[in-house]
Amino acid sequence: MTDLVGLEIEQRGEVIVARVTGELDIAGASSTGESIGEAVPTSARALVVDCTGLEFIDSSGIAMLFGLARRLGSRRQELRVVARGGEPVSRVLEIVEFDRAAPVHETLDEALAGLSTDGG
Amino acid sequence: MRELPELFDVRVKARSLAYLFVAGAGLGLLTLVLPHDDGIHDVQLWILAGIAIAIAALIYAQVDRVSEWQLHVLLAAGTTILSFANYYTGTSTLYPLLYTWTALYAFYFFGLGPALLHVGYIGLSYAVVLAIQDPASPAIRWLLAVGTPLIAGLLISRMLETLRAERLDSDDSARALRQNEARTRLVLDSAPDAFVTLDRDGIIRSWNLAAERMLGWSAAEAIGKPMHALVIPPEFRDRHDQRRLALMDSAEPFATAHFDVDLERRDSTRFPAEATVSKVDVRGEILVAGFIRDVTDRQRRQEEREALLRAQAARAEAERVAEMVSGMQLLVDAALAHRTLGDILSDLVARVRGVLDADTTAIYLTEEEDRLALGAASGGAAQIEDPEPIAFGHGFVGRVAEARQPMLAQDPTPEELPYPGLRELEIDSLIGVPLLAEGEVTGVVVVCAAAPRHFTAEDMNLLRLAADRVALAIDHARVYEREHRIAETLQRSLLPDRLPQLPGLAVAARYRPAAAEAEVGGDWYDVLPIPGGGVGLVMGDVAGKGLAAASMVGRLRSALRAYALEGHAPARVLEQLNRLIWTETDEGQMATLIYVVIDPAEEEIRWVNAGHLPPLLLVDGGRPYFLEGGSSVPLGVLPFPDFEEVSAPMDPGALIVLYTDGLVERPGEHIDLGMDRLAGVVREGPAEPQQLCDRLLAELVPRGGAPDDVALLTLRAVPIGDRFRVEFPAQPEALSSMRGLLRRWLRHLGATDQEVAEVVTGCGEAATNAIEHAGAGGGAPFEVSGQAADREIEVTVRDFGAWRQPREGDHGRGLSLMNALMDTVEVLPTPEGTTVRLGRTLYGTDANANGGPE
Repeated sequence: MTDLVGLEIEQRGEVIVARVTGELDIAGASSTGESIGEAVPTSARALVVDCTGLEFIDSSGIAMLFGLARRLGSRRQELRVVARGGEPVSRVLEIVEFDRAAPVHETLDEALAGLSTDGG
Repeated sequence: MRELPELFDVRVKARSLAYLFVAGAGLGLLTLVLPHDDGIHDVQLWILAGIAIAIAALIYAQVDRVSEWQLHVLLAAGTTILSFANYYTGTSTLYPLLYTWTALYAFYFFGLGPALLHVGYIGLSYAVVLAIQDPASPAIRWLLAVGTPLIAGLLISRMLETLRAERLDSDDSARALRQNEARTRLVLDSAPDAFVTLDRDGIIRSWNLAAERMLGWSAAEAIGKPMHALVIPPEFRDRHDQRRLALMDSAEPFATAHFDVDLERRDSTRFPAEATVSKVDVRGEILVAGFIRDVTDRQRRQEEREALLRAQAARAEAERVAEMVSGMQLLVDAALAHRTLGDILSDLVARVRGVLDADTTAIYLTEEEDRLALGAASGGAAQIEDPEPIAFGHGFVGRVAEARQPMLAQDPTPEELPYPGLRELEIDSLIGVPLLAEGEVTGVVVVCAAAPRHFTAEDMNLLRLAADRVALAIDHARVYEREHRIAETLQRSLLPDRLPQLPGLAVAARYRPAAAEAEVGGDWYDVLPIPGGGVGLVMGDVAGKGLAAASMVGRLRSALRAYALEGHAPARVLEQLNRLIWTETDEGQMATLIYVVIDPAEEEIRWVNAGHLPPLLLVDGGRPYFLEGGSSVPLGVLPFPDFEEVSAPMDPGALIVLYTDGLVERPGEHIDLGMDRLAGVVREGPAEPQQLCDRLLAELVPRGGAPDDVALLTLRAVPIGDRFRVEFPAQPEALSSMRGLLRRWLRHLGATDQEVAEVVTGCGEAATNAIEHAGAGGGAPFEVSGQAADREIEVTVRDFGAWRQPREGDHGRGLSLMNALMDTVEVLPTPEGTTVRLGRTLYGTDANANGGPE
């Protein structure tokens, strides 16, 4: 009934920034994943999923992020995730060792920095 | 037999009788003077002669006063005197001859009958004389004395009768003729009508006084002149001549013509006249005689009478029309009274029946595929059991619909009657009129009359007028109902049909559309879970009514949900909504709105108020008070208003009431009174939100409905203890509620933020599994319970579905998360379902700080 997850997509040059807010659980994970996937054109170089506004994530959300990593990897596109340390989301990402699939940054700027250097 | 006229005046008779007496007396005296024999008694004769002369003198003196019967008596007296004279003169004289005198007098002056009586008396008295005298051959004497005057008298009588008859013929006719002419002249001259006689050439032969008065010409001037030159207007002259000649040449002896004509007076003024002319034969000459009547007055009277009749007819018509119009007004009134189509139909059908004075009236409405269904009926046999729809062209009603024309049927066959129940009423007359709206037959109105009433063409016209109104009313009602239904449906769909299940929070809401209001209002409310375990309450009122308001509510609702979900602070959410109204809607569009965020875990309430009535807060055991702070202008009034967010503590067990003005506002009453009433009812309870809503509506909404829409939303934070047990629907959306409950419980137990996050995540995985299991188990709800002992907590998630082996690399992470975040994880799959028991020790620094016993 109520979708507790919010999504904003922003294009910064060759990088797509997806800001996910609210609570990401089984109710909204797959649809959010699809929306993000569709928002990333093949021409894009990288996708940054900003989870700093995300208050909750469960295994469904994690599965969605893993899915995105696989999908982008097959297209030779890069995925980066932003999550502040100490926050619940960051804690979950650590548990599932998400950094083996994609790098997790503290801030959006940090995530974008490497990409823009490469792009510049 | 005609009564013969009297030949003689009574005075003539009297004088003649006097002469007769004198002559008799003279003859008697003469016999005394002349030499006579001794047998005569002189003295007695002298006396008798004297008596006779005296009687003669008496008659003469009283000749003017004497009457017919006195003459008879006197004549009889003469006979008696004569008889005495016969006695005293003896048998030798010829005195009996004198009886002839009296007899002849009688025959001459009296009728035959009285004369014969007198002769009879003569015979009797002479017979007495003869009997006393006893002469020789008395019979012969008697016969001679009586027979002679009898024969002579009869002859005279016969002669006089012939004479009288002749006099009657000659005298009478002459006098009658004279009298007639005079009378005719008098009549003609005094007649109000002109009388004119014309000869064959049209020359005037007679001209009465009325003709002189009427036409201005005197008889002397007119007679001898041609009629048409004198008084006939030129254009009528030919016809005048033709008419006269036709009348004269007519074979009928008394041919008569009657016609209207215009005539000219001497002064050339004209006037309408009416003429009656006849052919008359005056001593062998054929003339035309005519009466002419001036009908100016009569025409005027006729016109006046006609005008009067017209006025009366007009008044009657006006009264009829007035009555009809008032009947029509009733129809319009029925149409204007905003009610359901069904109500309008049953009202209309009764009123049409009254207007037409019909026995039964029915309104049929067109359904799909050209079929007519009975909408309403009134009058006899109106209680019909769900009659079959009528196809166009079938039966009387169907034919009216097909022909699109009013129809009048007399003495219909039973098959033609709209429904069988009417057959018992002996319906003699039917009128059907199609209901037309924008060229479409939307229905048929039928009126039926039982004998002896028969409808007329006028009734049909009346029904047609009525049908126009009925069609309009039905059309309006249908359009209105459609719009109302759309708006209501839209609004209802915008209101949450089911409030989210919020563990530990009891929520109830009510929406009541206004009683008399035609259109739905712009009242709305919403309850939305806020990320982080809070709940948002919204109560708003969009200015305006109907579809426009409803669609505005829809936009505000979806926008508010979107902004709230993004985690914006309440003030920021309202700023966004204000921008939406300000920039994207018509000028003047505005809305009041209060947005309350309740975070039960934090035991805090925050709100922003855009011009709405303040919420009412009741803390357990305290007095209710309105949350007056944070009030700002309504949305859509200013481009950049400042919305101030205000917060207040919300203790466990506290109750909040949000409402719209319809609940507290009454016409002619200050709103504070309504708000005081609201506070009073809330203070008395009950505290359970559903019951409280019902009580508030019962106490505050007048019977028959409020004048405005009423929306009401109440929330109570149910105190949570160390243990809880809640059932959730096996739907992904339930997860958020469950997490909210856990957060509140964990806060209550004094857990740290990190502990809360970890336990919520771990338990969430168990709940997610439960939902997935239920997918195979028919959607049965799952149960979450928690208990805390000292620092140990145990959360049990129990489902009634089938256990699924976690898939590797995907949901398998759920189990690893549980294991990582919780101290103990126990999974107990059974054929009836799966139970997951999760244990954890809390080390929160503020443990027990908030964990007092509830």
